Amino acid sequence: MLVVNHVSKSYGKFEALKDINLEFSNGVYGLLAPNGAGKTTLIKMLTTLIFPSSGEILYNGTNIARLGEKYRELLGYLPQDFGYYKNYSPRQFLSYLGALKGMDKKVVNKRMDELLKLVALEDVATKKMKKFSGGMIQRVGIAQAMLNDPKILILDEPTAGLDPKERVRFRNLLSELARDRIVILSTHIVSDVESIANEIIMIKDKQVLYKGSIDEICKKIAGMVYETSIPYEQANMFKKEVFSLSEKQEDGLLKIRFISKKTPEPTWTAVKPNLEDVFLYVYRDDIQESGAS
Amino acid sequence: MNVLRFELKKAFQSPVVSILIMLFLFFNFWLIYKHAGIREELKVTNQLVERFGYKIDSEMSAKLQDYYQSKLQKMNKLTNEKFGKTYERAGDFFAEYEHRNKELSEEELHVITETAIVESYYELIQKIDQTYRHLDLSQNAKMDIKGYGLSGKTAEVTREYYIKLKNRLDELIEAGEHKNLFFIGYVYHMHSFLFKDLMRQMIFEVMILVVLITGHVTTYEFQNQTCLTVYASKRGRKLMLDKLVANLFASLCICAVILGATLLVYFLVFDYSGLWGIPISSFFNSEFSFPYISWWKLPFGIYLSCVLVVFIICQLFFTVITYSIAVWIKNNYLVYAVFAILFGFCVLIPGIIPKNLTAIFWTRYTPFSLILNPHLWFIGWNVFTPKKYEWTTTVIWTCLLAIATVVTFLKFNKEQID
Repeated sequence: MLVVNHVSKSYGKFEALKDINLEFSNGVYGLLAPNGAGKTTLIKMLTTLIFPSSGEILYNGTNIARLGEKYRELLGYLPQDFGYYKNYSPRQFLSYLGALKGMDKKVVNKRMDELLKLVALEDVATKKMKKFSGGMIQRVGIAQAMLNDPKILILDEPTAGLDPKERVRFRNLLSELARDRIVILSTHIVSDVESIANEIIMIKDKQVLYKGSIDEICKKIAGMVYETSIPYEQANMFKKEVFSLSEKQEDGLLKIRFISKKTPEPTWTAVKPNLEDVFLYVYRDDIQESGAS
Repeated sequence: MNVLRFELKKAFQSPVVSILIMLFLFFNFWLIYKHAGIREELKVTNQLVERFGYKIDSEMSAKLQDYYQSKLQKMNKLTNEKFGKTYERAGDFFAEYEHRNKELSEEELHVITETAIVESYYELIQKIDQTYRHLDLSQNAKMDIKGYGLSGKTAEVTREYYIKLKNRLDELIEAGEHKNLFFIGYVYHMHSFLFKDLMRQMIFEVMILVVLITGHVTTYEFQNQTCLTVYASKRGRKLMLDKLVANLFASLCICAVILGATLLVYFLVFDYSGLWGIPISSFFNSEFSFPYISWWKLPFGIYLSCVLVVFIICQLFFTVITYSIAVWIKNNYLVYAVFAILFGFCVLIPGIIPKNLTAIFWTRYTPFSLILNPHLWFIGWNVFTPKKYEWTTTVIWTCLLAIATVVTFLKFNKEQID
């Protein structure tokens, strides 16, 4: 079990994360927050790339900093900005990382064959990566993260650059992998985690806001999400009174999905909240700010 | 699997390294080629050593005289037949040489040249005792003090230095270390050519390559943004230790390639076969009025070995210096710039220190100052080439760089990798 115990992280006077408490056992954990919320900082602490300013991270009761190599050999990590050597082929790159992961050459070769097939790169396994598309590079990144069959798989924005078909395939793969390991998937794309995460962790104002199953989190706004159709000319006025989640045109009217704490009107239809609704509602200030900027 | 192998691959995969190695070897071979015109004349030294041995004593001197006389007779026979003229000295022929060279065959010219070389040896042997008798090291002390503008404590150090060198000179004369045949330094300048021109050129060439490679390998992950993946792997930050070993090994490889290839060609071109055991302090090795006086009795082979050891140690120092800078800076171009600034600083500092402060001496105990005069390593030449200068510099910098490496590791282990 991986435990984050009262962890805070500061850079000088700037506090990136404050008193984070989390527990991870086998399963998929979706770390969901807008960009800049501190997801990557938390992940870098989980991968020992940076160290907490206070608090500790424990794996099976021992501080991961003290475990060192013993902890990192259980780790698979795909960083957000996955760097690669443009003059290396996927095989050469994976061989190098296999060596760094302390793997036997024969095991690496066998595992490479499996993974390159899995990420559909077996045809370009010996081609230099400088000619690869963003999606292909990302698939190399996924392969390297899984190379040592990690007990803890940490993926920071793993679907960036993947096409819809690859995303679906990747999600299915993670669901399968998560049966006997911890998979932590950091993203700001709700659909990446909605269908596969056992638990969602939402970070806001440098702290963990919610941690729970999707159903539990969605209950936070249960009874507040509605849909209605209104004429376009009333839209601006209506949106001032409610928090709009999504809008679409339907039969000459504007079909709007929204959150309201007011007593519902007869034309409103109560709907079951989904994770995206919670995400948009929780981070409404951040989203408006980023939209404005 | 071997991480070192991958790190070494990074060192040598750069085409810049291969191109520079080829370019530098070309420069070295060109330098040797430019000097190669004297190689036939140098063979005479080996012939003399083969015939009489290299130790000069009265018996050897007498035999050499006989040999010289027979050579001169043979030459005069030839010149008499050709030009109806004989010479008292072979050297006199060459005063008229310009006008007569076309009238002689290669073989005939070779006979005269060989005689002139043997004559030089014979005549110089007669001057050895006189030359060493007239050496007055207290004058050298005065010249150093005046020339460098030394005063107070530094002038005192200079006088003490020359007393020590005088003791060594007396010991050298007593042991007859100077009385050995070698290439004639006044004429061929082989010591300067090998240890100053060629060796110094190689020192700078290898230094450039070593700094380039070390900066490149050490910052590789940070330059390619693979640092997050790599340092989160099992090996983690210990990879920096592998990089240090890989850098040191790569530097040794570069030394082996540049030194190996260049010296192989050098010794194929210039025949030293009979001279490896001759002390470097031999009178014949002198190139100026003041002879080379090594602080210890060092035969040429041992001297060359010592020079190569210091050469390699200096390159390993440059590797560790570059490595330490690179771990802190993580940008290879900045690393090169900082190394260049450090080099300039260390070389310039002794020159701007007031001449009455002993700091003008100890600020020279850096590998940067050391590499400037490889032809004077282990040799007492002036107050700035003290006894044990090379080994003291080596020991001091081994300690300093060991501390720097430990501090660098500790720092990197606690560093945030972003």
